[in-house]
Amino acid sequence: MSAARGTANYEYVTSRVRSRRASLFDADDYRKLVRMGPGEIARFMEETEYETEMNALGSRFEGVDLIEYALNRNLAKHFDDLLNWADGALYGYLARYLRKFDAWNVKTTFRGIYSDADPSEIEDDLITAGELSETLLSRLVDAGSIEEAVDLLDGTLFADALDEAYELYEQESLLVPLENAVDRAYYADLMANLPSEPNRAEELYLQFLRAEIDFRNLRNALRISRSGADIDPAEFYIDGGRLFDATTLRQLASNPDELVARVRESVYGDELDATLDALAEADDLIAFEHALDAALLSYSDTLSNRYPLSVCPVLAYVLAKEREVDNVRAIARGREAGLDPEEIETELVIA
Amino acid sequence: MFDIATTLLGSIAPVLQATGNVGTFGAAIAVGLAALGAGIAERGIGAAAVGAVAEDDDMFGRGLIFTVLPETLVILALVVVFLTL
Repeated sequence: MSAARGTANYEYVTSRVRSRRASLFDADDYRKLVRMGPGEIARFMEETEYETEMNALGSRFEGVDLIEYALNRNLAKHFDDLLNWADGALYGYLARYLRKFDAWNVKTTFRGIYSDADPSEIEDDLITAGELSETLLSRLVDAGSIEEAVDLLDGTLFADALDEAYELYEQESLLVPLENAVDRAYYADLMANLPSEPNRAEELYLQFLRAEIDFRNLRNALRISRSGADIDPAEFYIDGGRLFDATTLRQLASNPDELVARVRESVYGDELDATLDALAEADDLIAFEHALDAALLSYSDTLSNRYPLSVCPVLAYVLAKEREVDNVRAIARGREAGLDPEEIETELVIA
Repeated sequence: MFDIATTLLGSIAPVLQATGNVGTFGAAIAVGLAALGAGIAERGIGAAAVGAVAEDDDMFGRGLIFTVLPETLVILALVVVFLTL
């Protein structure tokens, strides 16, 4: 039994993760939160598992900034915990997946440098959950130019892709090629080096990631087809999903009806059926994107219930935690801007 | 694996014949295998229970109960011992 699974300690990690998953905010908490002001939200968070971060940052920041930095720091803490617990193959999957935050940090730094933001401001927005060391991150933030930052990333998994994209950036002075290169490098690395005949654990890891990539492609395709902009969808296409390949995506993006029909017939049909109906009626892309996120969450829950001792529950927790952080941030920012509770509620994704 | 088992059995067969106590030997094997099975089962449950307790101290009692559940296998095997004696 143990030989078949390598040295991965699924039992230990999944039971801890399930316990943490259960302590995330539920729909009731959100209902309370949307009726609070930023100060009250901060007080509410002090009584939950964000207590440590709120106390640590409370003297330096206030209001929505405090909430935001506490959220980021708490997120990083939880994901570092995951890496500390995991052993063997499970550690490998998780480390790869959490490089998502490396990609996020690299993109944030590029954007910061591009917009001449203050280094300390950029640093506040980083999430230190990935693989890049803090030293490298702070050198990145202090880099004077994009070129310097790209040079600093030499030796990381983004290096090759960034070198290629940098020429494009020099020609066009647009960040888009660099950002796409970072995302592509991340997704390429996620699925790289897995054996051609994956064993059960690898199979499940792949199944989870394929779902995520499919949803991302679907969202990009819909955005492009709705905006009517003349963009080649293949430019944003991420390889590895099972719903589309680059050519079909290009055809479908110009024809939303066919795209929807295609999704309805796919494996995600059950999860997305109600959502797709709503899209057809309401024509509201933002609501549909939130529904997509909720559908991905519920699909990840299905996977983790179906395969309890696998990487799926852990990745599902990562998704759910990220969603919680996004939700609380949306509430805090929304309240700060004076939006109605009802308006904010439409912005939340609650699975 | 199979070879080892047959050689082992072959080597103890004379002992069994000498003492004539095949039943006791079989009961010993039964308890041993049951304990081994319970141990393998408890490995996973114990790891999960420790994880749950680390998150929430109240889980200690429940975790303990679930961890020793496979021990019932060994108790049933002990019944076999008493039946053969």
